[in-house]
Amino acid sequence: MILSAAHVSRVFAMPAGPVAAVRDVSLAIAAGDHVAVRGPSGCGKSTLLHMLGCVDTPSSGTLLFEGHDVATLSDRARSLLRLRSIGFVFQRFFLLPMLSAAENVELPMSEAGVTAAARRSRTRELLDYVGLSARADHRPSQLSGGEMQRVAIARALANRPRLLLADEPTGELDQTTGEHIAALLDRVNADGTAMVIVTHDHALASRAGRVLTMRDGRVESETTR
Amino acid sequence: MKRCPGEAKPSRSLFRGGASLAFAWRSLVRQPARATLGVLGVAAVGALLFDMLMLSNGLIVSMRDMLDRTGFDIRISTSGELQRGQRLTNAAAALRTIGSLPSVGTALAIRFVEAEADRRDSPASDPTSVANGATTGSTQPVTVEVAIQGVMGATRPWTVLEGRDPRGPNEVVVSQALAAALRAAPGEEIALRPRCLSGQEVSPPTRLQVTGVAEFPFELVGEGTAGGSMAVLDAACGGSRDEADIILASAAGEPDVTAAAVRAAEPRLTVATNEQVLGRLQRNGFTYFRQISTVLTTVTLGFALLLITVLLTVSVNQRLGEIAALRALGFSRGRVVADVLCESLLIVGLGGLLSLPLGAMLAQGLDAILKTMPGIPAEMYFFVFEPATLGLHATLLGLTAVVAALYPIQVVARLPIAATLRNEVLS
Repeated sequence: MILSAAHVSRVFAMPAGPVAAVRDVSLAIAAGDHVAVRGPSGCGKSTLLHMLGCVDTPSSGTLLFEGHDVATLSDRARSLLRLRSIGFVFQRFFLLPMLSAAENVELPMSEAGVTAAARRSRTRELLDYVGLSARADHRPSQLSGGEMQRVAIARALANRPRLLLADEPTGELDQTTGEHIAALLDRVNADGTAMVIVTHDHALASRAGRVLTMRDGRVESETTR
Repeated sequence: MKRCPGEAKPSRSLFRGGASLAFAWRSLVRQPARATLGVLGVAAVGALLFDMLMLSNGLIVSMRDMLDRTGFDIRISTSGELQRGQRLTNAAAALRTIGSLPSVGTALAIRFVEAEADRRDSPASDPTSVANGATTGSTQPVTVEVAIQGVMGATRPWTVLEGRDPRGPNEVVVSQALAAALRAAPGEEIALRPRCLSGQEVSPPTRLQVTGVAEFPFELVGEGTAGGSMAVLDAACGGSRDEADIILASAAGEPDVTAAAVRAAEPRLTVATNEQVLGRLQRNGFTYFRQISTVLTTVTLGFALLLITVLLTVSVNQRLGEIAALRALGFSRGRVVADVLCESLLIVGLGGLLSLPLGAMLAQGLDAILKTMPGIPAEMYFFVFEPATLGLHATLLGLTAVVAALYPIQVVARLPIAATLRNEVLS
């Protein structure tokens, strides 16, 4: 088991009063799982994803990542956990514009203290994996949206995470490009990385083994393919 | 948690492998216009800071250098002031008494008399020109202010650069400035009109033989100097006056011990070592400049602080999404903080390096302006470079970089990752 969430809730303090973004969600992610989270805007999908990715902590409930209670971990320990065990793919890519595609991919490895030779080798391998070997030296501004997302996926896989989290990974892409990215994510999952994808895209969600549908912060339904 | 092949243990160091510095450099060059403005801004305030630091000690360092160059450790007068004040009488007896003290090496008495001379034409571009309002090719006689030093004793307060020391009652050495203004070379005659009493009309001209050109450490800007024996002044002013403005003495041992011995021997006179003179100037005469430099240093640092803080805050605010994404990818809080700090240090470091030549040029210009003030020795400098100034400059700018980065660092350190990522998508 990579991750298990038991009755987790997330409540935000707002000027107008507390708002419960996620309510009493229980979930388990095992190695190789492919989970999609669907639901209307504001239903708590991204908040749930952020908690699963240890960038946010539950207001109540228990979240165990590789057996560690995330709520008890220090900020530094959570950073290390994210660095080594979790990969993030964002809707807006968030590639660093002053770095080349290869340097963007190298970045998490550099932070993890991977040696330069190992970083270069792994970067070549990953860019080849996402089909961008020829664009290694290109800056994000010289890449298309689909190419940028592929670089972002390569970056997310840099430290060989056990869990890949993607927040609307096709949200900024046209349908054809989105399908290419979906196929790439399928391949990542097939190669052994567990995956949780938050998406509005029905086609993308339908490729997942499990689909959670959320409404008003709760998991309304769960379907398994 | 598993590790990748080739992975080392992540270091707790903020600056591991210079990654933050390299990262900060990339962030800077990403916005070249903003970076250039920042660096130029820091260079400008850094140059001012450099000048203010040089000014704060410059006069003292310059004055110490001038006092040391005279070769005398103790100054004896009626008032204890460096300026020409009330003359001491029975100068010859006082000089004998002081010179006979075992702790005194050499001693001499000096009397100053103001004089005028008619300038002969000389190129206006001559940097040693001392004439007031002289123009090239002018046929109007232009007056040159001259200080004549009459000296009694075995040694001299000047250094002969060309020719020889004067021996006779009508022989003098002249400063380079006076030699240039009067076009007087050794062997030639000059005519000086002495003003034997302060405020009095000038006396008829005295013709004096120039035997050499000498360096006078305390020669004032806009004034020439001639030096000879007391007999020169007696001949010029008529009669024999046993008076002196100051007695200079060199100490055979510790100047303080010698000064105490002189005080005991001549209790009517004021005795001061060079260090005491400097201390008095530091407390009184130069306080004005120190205060100005302290105020301007503070203001300058304040400007630098605001400039860098604004630049970094804008830069950080534009990159909040990226920073939150990096944090989500596992970058530690310390690492993103180090990135911001390094960016600040880079801006200040580059600006600081540029500020040194800029400050040096500015100091030269300001020094030239300040030296046009009356009564300033030509060899005195307001802005004096010392290695310690460079260290203090670097330290102050470094501290400014750190303090300026505090607010943007706080923004980055307290960045809520999830909320920022959510806001970036919504925006």
